Amino acid sequence: MLQRILSIGFLTTFLSAAVRLAMPLMYAGLGETISEKSGLLNIGMEGVMISGAFFSFVGAWFSGSLLVGLLSGMLGGIMVSALHALLTIRLAKDQSVTGLAVNMLMLGVTSFLYKLLSTGQSYQQVGTLPTLALPLLSKIPLIGEAFFNRDLLTYVLYLLLLLVWLFYRKTDLGLSFMSIGENPRAAASAGIPVHRYQWIVMLLNGLLGGVGGAYLVLVQLGVFTVEMTSGRGYIALATVILGRYTPFGMFGAALLFGAANALQIRLQTIGVSISPYLLNILPYAITLVAMLMAIGKNNQPEALGKPYIKGSR
Amino acid sequence: MQQINRKQTAFDILKILLMTVVLGAILILICGANPWEAAQLFFRGMFGTFSSFAEIFVKACPLILTSLGCAIAFKTGFFNIGAEGQFYVGALGTTVVALYLPGVSGIAKIVLALSIGFICGGLWALIAAVLKAKFNISEIIVTIMLNYIAINFLGYAVRSFLMDPAGNVPQSEKIASDARLAIFIPSTRFHVGILIAVCCVALVWFLMEKTTVGYELTAVGTNKRAAGCNGISVFKNIVLSAFLSGGFAALAGGIEVLAIQKKLLEGISSNCGYTAVLVALIAGNRPFGVLAVSVLYAAMQVGANSMQRQMGIPSSIVNILIGVVVVLILGKELITLSRHPKQTQ
Repeated sequence: MLQRILSIGFLTTFLSAAVRLAMPLMYAGLGETISEKSGLLNIGMEGVMISGAFFSFVGAWFSGSLLVGLLSGMLGGIMVSALHALLTIRLAKDQSVTGLAVNMLMLGVTSFLYKLLSTGQSYQQVGTLPTLALPLLSKIPLIGEAFFNRDLLTYVLYLLLLLVWLFYRKTDLGLSFMSIGENPRAAASAGIPVHRYQWIVMLLNGLLGGVGGAYLVLVQLGVFTVEMTSGRGYIALATVILGRYTPFGMFGAALLFGAANALQIRLQTIGVSISPYLLNILPYAITLVAMLMAIGKNNQPEALGKPYIKGSR
Repeated sequence: MQQINRKQTAFDILKILLMTVVLGAILILICGANPWEAAQLFFRGMFGTFSSFAEIFVKACPLILTSLGCAIAFKTGFFNIGAEGQFYVGALGTTVVALYLPGVSGIAKIVLALSIGFICGGLWALIAAVLKAKFNISEIIVTIMLNYIAINFLGYAVRSFLMDPAGNVPQSEKIASDARLAIFIPSTRFHVGILIAVCCVALVWFLMEKTTVGYELTAVGTNKRAAGCNGISVFKNIVLSAFLSGGFAALAGGIEVLAIQKKLLEGISSNCGYTAVLVALIAGNRPFGVLAVSVLYAAMQVGANSMQRQMGIPSSIVNILIGVVVVLILGKELITLSRHPKQTQ
């Protein structure tokens, strides 16, 4: 049995499935990393993703173009984040309550609209993005197939990870964006427009979360189903913590969640019987343990989840 | 001053209610249905027969208890989003006791099963409470993680050690009829658990409003540091409120098993653990407010289900309306159209 698991063929398909399943989490997780670094917790990521999924489906279905689908998915995500931003930045409301309200609202709105849309038609399928094998890179044994024989959106994500990492590590502007997550009052007194920056990160959060939802439709499934995100928005929050608020950390964490998912599918196909439900627990337990181990190191932004009110002491 | 405030609040509530009704009508119009006809069906679904009226309370019961739990936690500044998981842990504990505990039967078994469920849920919530009180780890994320662990563990349980050996379906054996919660009003589903829920509301109100324990819980929620400086233990109170909070959510799960399902299976919470957070918020964390809002929500759900059955209007309208209500409550300043929103910290 162990030999079958350790064969190259098994590992290749397993890794490939892990990356594929992790991709929506990676987009959403990157969006969440960016906003949390600037102090904004968006528990409404689930709502952002379901909105992105729904509107990408609608866009692709009515226009017949995947690009239009992707753009409308982004717009769908941005709409939701803008609502969250309006309540949490402009009105300085509790971010967790707002997030949960946004989730419920969007689950309702998307399933309502989908039921209206699908009356009379039984099965609606849109096309999915083709895979593009990168020359040379995709020939690397084991990881080549998994990481470099994928769709365009995956490659864009790699690029984004690198850019975001560079942005926070190497630029002054990145430092400014991070500072408003640590101490917004100090940042404001240094002349940083806190609220404007917070709006920017929330809109980016919506854009990336929207793509995360759209990925489910435009790459993985080609269809929309009611409540299809099934908690991925919440898992994205976990990837950010497990990844210690860095883009590449988040990448690894999302990969872990994807791997747990993929492992259960692969093990079932070769007839090993470990309960998939027990395997599913694993990443959550690891996240909790990681949070425990991070005690004292404290890499969480200091002002995360606390509203900043101009002129307050 | 106080009177003006109260008038203003009543006016706000009225405005929000009106906007909700108008939005509901618009959504029904979008579906191509007649709002007047739909409204008739909506109310007939609720009040049409005695048993449909009782159904409102059947639906409200788990929501009352989970929201009550959330309200206690929020009052103490412990943001428990884990009611969903605590619900299932409670359902699991109650089921195990009701199925396998030998030697006791009847009311003693029911009481024991529900109490053990309560304790299991309370302990489940304690994990997050200790992490928050001792290490200042965000309880929001921890309770969300614990939800998924509980839900997946339940999925495992009903497929392995708890699975009914007689069937192939992922669910537990049927609970013996002497350990079930009885029906209170014949020919409806109005069960004794609903009375338990109402009693819990009264108890929590008494605890929070009339006792020192409640005072200390609220004090910690209002200002942790000030409470600590005045000799109120922050750790003790967060732990206590989390335990009670998880316990009530678990009780909801236990009652759902013993009164409605009569066995353990997946998906029986119908997401009431997440709805509870919003209900507690709308109710301003007041116990009797929780009771009223839960019943109102359940009534909307029952009414909307009847619209869905008869006219094909999606019942997800209720989710939209609740979401909008919460957004409107949070964003009161948006609808009062003041240019300078009053912001309090």
